[in-house]
Amino acid sequence: MQPQLKSKVRCLDREVGEVSKIIMDPLSHEVSHLVVSMNGTGERQVPMGAVQVVTDDLVQLRSSSSEVMGMQPFKREDYVTLHEVEIPGLEKHIHVTPGEVLVPFPELERNVKRRAFFANLTYVTGLFIGLPLAYPVLKFLMKPMYASLDNGWLKIGNIGKIKTEDTGIQFQYKRKIKEAYMPEAEIEKNVWLVKATPAVLEKVYQGKDMDFLDSSGKAIWTNKKDMPYLAFSGKCPHLGCAYKWRKHKVLGQVFLCPCHLSIYDASGKVLDGPAPRHLDLLPIQVTAGGEVQIIDMEFKAGTKSQTRIV
Amino acid sequence: MSDIPSAGTQPTVAEKVFTFVDERVGLKLLAAKMLNESVPGGSRWAYVFGSILLFIFIMQAITGVLLMFYYVPTADHAYASTQYILHDVDYGWFLLSYHFWGSTAMVVCVFAHMSQVFLWGAYKKPRELIWLVGLVLFALVMGFGFTGYLLPWDQRAYWATTVGVEIVDKMPVLGDFLARFLKGGPTPGQMTLSRFFVIHVMVLPAALIALAGLHLFLFRCAGPAGPFRGAPAELKAKTDYFFPRQIWKDVVGMAVVFACISAMAFWEPVVLLEEATPDPGDYHPEPEWYFLFIFQHLRLKMFSGEFGQFLGSMGLPGLLGVMLMLLPFFDRNPERNIFKRPFALIGWVMLTASILLFTVSAIINRDFLD
Amino acid sequence: MNEHISPTKLGFGILWPAFWTGLPFKLAFAVLFLAFGIIHFENRIALAFLMLLASPVTVFAVPTVTLALGSNIGEGSGIALLFLLAIPIDIWSLGIVGRTYFLERLRREPPGGLGLTLWWKCALVGAIYVPILWAAQGAITEAAIAGAYSILEADVLRGIPVAEGISIKLTLWSTVATVALLVLFVIGFSLVGRMIHRTVQSAGHAPENYQGLIVRWDLMRVPLDQGWMLTALSGTAVVLSVLFWFSLPVFTPHPHDCCKKPEVLAEPPFKPLETLNKDEKMIAHLAAQVEMLVEQRAKSELEKEQSKGKGKEGTETVEAPDATKPAAPTAP
Repeated sequence: MQPQLKSKVRCLDREVGEVSKIIMDPLSHEVSHLVVSMNGTGERQVPMGAVQVVTDDLVQLRSSSSEVMGMQPFKREDYVTLHEVEIPGLEKHIHVTPGEVLVPFPELERNVKRRAFFANLTYVTGLFIGLPLAYPVLKFLMKPMYASLDNGWLKIGNIGKIKTEDTGIQFQYKRKIKEAYMPEAEIEKNVWLVKATPAVLEKVYQGKDMDFLDSSGKAIWTNKKDMPYLAFSGKCPHLGCAYKWRKHKVLGQVFLCPCHLSIYDASGKVLDGPAPRHLDLLPIQVTAGGEVQIIDMEFKAGTKSQTRIV
Repeated sequence: MSDIPSAGTQPTVAEKVFTFVDERVGLKLLAAKMLNESVPGGSRWAYVFGSILLFIFIMQAITGVLLMFYYVPTADHAYASTQYILHDVDYGWFLLSYHFWGSTAMVVCVFAHMSQVFLWGAYKKPRELIWLVGLVLFALVMGFGFTGYLLPWDQRAYWATTVGVEIVDKMPVLGDFLARFLKGGPTPGQMTLSRFFVIHVMVLPAALIALAGLHLFLFRCAGPAGPFRGAPAELKAKTDYFFPRQIWKDVVGMAVVFACISAMAFWEPVVLLEEATPDPGDYHPEPEWYFLFIFQHLRLKMFSGEFGQFLGSMGLPGLLGVMLMLLPFFDRNPERNIFKRPFALIGWVMLTASILLFTVSAIINRDFLD
Repeated sequence: MNEHISPTKLGFGILWPAFWTGLPFKLAFAVLFLAFGIIHFENRIALAFLMLLASPVTVFAVPTVTLALGSNIGEGSGIALLFLLAIPIDIWSLGIVGRTYFLERLRREPPGGLGLTLWWKCALVGAIYVPILWAAQGAITEAAIAGAYSILEADVLRGIPVAEGISIKLTLWSTVATVALLVLFVIGFSLVGRMIHRTVQSAGHAPENYQGLIVRWDLMRVPLDQGWMLTALSGTAVVLSVLFWFSLPVFTPHPHDCCKKPEVLAEPPFKPLETLNKDEKMIAHLAAQVEMLVEQRAKSELEKEQSKGKGKEGTETVEAPDATKPAAPTAP
């Protein structure tokens, strides 16, 4: 039990005064000293070690009154009150005041069920405000995330440019894009065309026509397996860099991506490097006059399966 | 008396978590101090407007941030991006219309809140500081409305702002400087849009949050004023705590305001005029409805001339503002019952009526402009 | 026990809280109906709001006002539905407000079914009085406007400029109209108070002291089964929200000329067998046509040669009409 303020203080021989102040240790959170008001002859600072026993209204010391008179006088300027300082958690350990200061507890608040009900009703009312907004806000934010795909044919050049077979020839073209509210802009893109020999065609198509489907599963176009012109998307399927047709020391003429050194042969097959899949083929048409048309598509980079994103 | 309803023998998970945090943070004590504020005379629906204002501000901030995902504050894309939100983004029209009508709701509720505080005499000692901070908050709300109006960059927005800034220009001494500061130049253009955007989206919100925090802190220091009449026994019998009853009434008020703003969004969705051009054409510039009463002053003959225009548009409203600021200092009568403060009651009625009359006059005047 | 409560105080004391108590529920439905598009408000939205707010007294007056007085507050089937839904809401809110008022203000024991009793009394008074109020207010306002205009037309005041004139006229007639409206409201509340008075008189004395009464009406608001009530309310929130998500128009209902969305034409259904048959028939038809033309051409050439042989008799041979290309079959 902690000594109470205003408790009488008794030495071995007689009563000497009363507890006027309590000093607490800020580290251990325990009472370290009593300040005893010595019946008119000043205040003495008494360490708790000198206390024999504490009862409700009496502190019994194990020293004599003369010893207590000889103890250190209390110097107020060496101390501050708890209102002037912040010592976390100290209040929890103080039990020195006789009695408590009270205020009336409102009649209406005594019913715990009522309290709980209105708290929960507040949350439910909040639900009426927040929930209707959830879906519209989500859709609002998601608007541009899954834009519809453009399946228009773009003219990219003439096959007259291709002089040799099984060789990558780059065709550069411009594509018009309209992003949200921005005015229409043109971006430059490129594809690699290969006039493939039947052997290479076989490697690419493996005896099946290649279907291109839209998001609802409807066929947009089919590349026929015997059409010799192949159009590869200009973006490397590893991480989207632009690759080139180069001569490799060992592997001969290949598609080589300078970013991470993915290497593909003329059929788009991965020969070396971190590419997760073959080069992406695009729908291609060649008119009677030799005009080449493609549908510009882009696919997710870095994945084994081919997912169209543009 | 504890915040948590006494459960059976086993504490729930929520209760365990609460106790865990409480041992370290003193959460029970903190929550009790924050929430168990005694409201003398009990929670009242009349007190909900302050919390409603906080709610409206939060909704404006949320819808505003959402709009910023698509809006671009440049002269060449502001209009197109706003139209994009209205026509091409899912539910963009609803969020933009909510933001637009939310600003109207804010002004209406500010007026309601100020009126409630005035009529209840809750500006008197010791609540003078709360009142002063509140007046600054009111000015911030008007600032929000003024700066936000320009952002769609259609004819209405551009010309309302042009006229508004021209009025600022008429202020003696500082007018030209202030007008050029707002415009970012001698004439309105991209600089104006950038400045208004930054002020609307960063400067005013920061100021409002800081001052609203101060306003709430000062309110807690002084405590709620409570009803202006009633025997002490009556007040004591009805006293309850801020939480949960007053908070619940606040939330219901918020829900009602939310429904009203949504209804307005359906009734009159935002529709832009044509894109801003340097030539107003047939369009008659007009500020938003809550500035109309001042706008109408400018049409009165008594406020003609350069100084007259300043007087009618800024001088008199400014004087009113100063009088409101001085109110707690020259009204020292501790009486708070509005029915025993005839000057206050008549003054409030006259002010409200004249604001209404001038607002409606401005609307009627539209038909007489040609 | 309060024996002498004025009817106006009684009417107002019950109606004012009851109006606002029911409002949140009515607004939730109003917003939902707006989202569904079954209600449209025009300029009279403020009036519509007031009529909805005061639905305990206006519920049966709205049809009268709309039909007999020819003023409607809005369009759409939703309005009638809204007022219909307001009936149970109002019975409930009058019940809770009524019981509170009886306990605290009148210190009387609220009778059973108080909500329903109060409701039909208010609705009855409203059904008769609100149209009268509407008509009277309309007449007074018109007269006031006319009066204000004629005052300003007087020669003395002719010179007043436009803006000042507008404000003066407005002040004159709006003051008259406002005072008239307030008087009519007071009369209305008084009538309701009188209707309710008998219910009050027949109610017994409530036994508790003041604090007891306060606690009683306060706890009246706490349901016996909180869990059920809260779950039901949460469920309602979920249902209403989902309906709202479903009905909320995705793009603005008032599009600007700049960005009107094109009419979305449904793709005509693809019927392969039908198309094949159609094409077959068309091919057969065209083949026949081509044969016919070939024959014609052969015939005309034969005739040409024959006529050439006949000499310059001048039989002008009519050139076979150019084989008009058959219309290309429209691909499905």
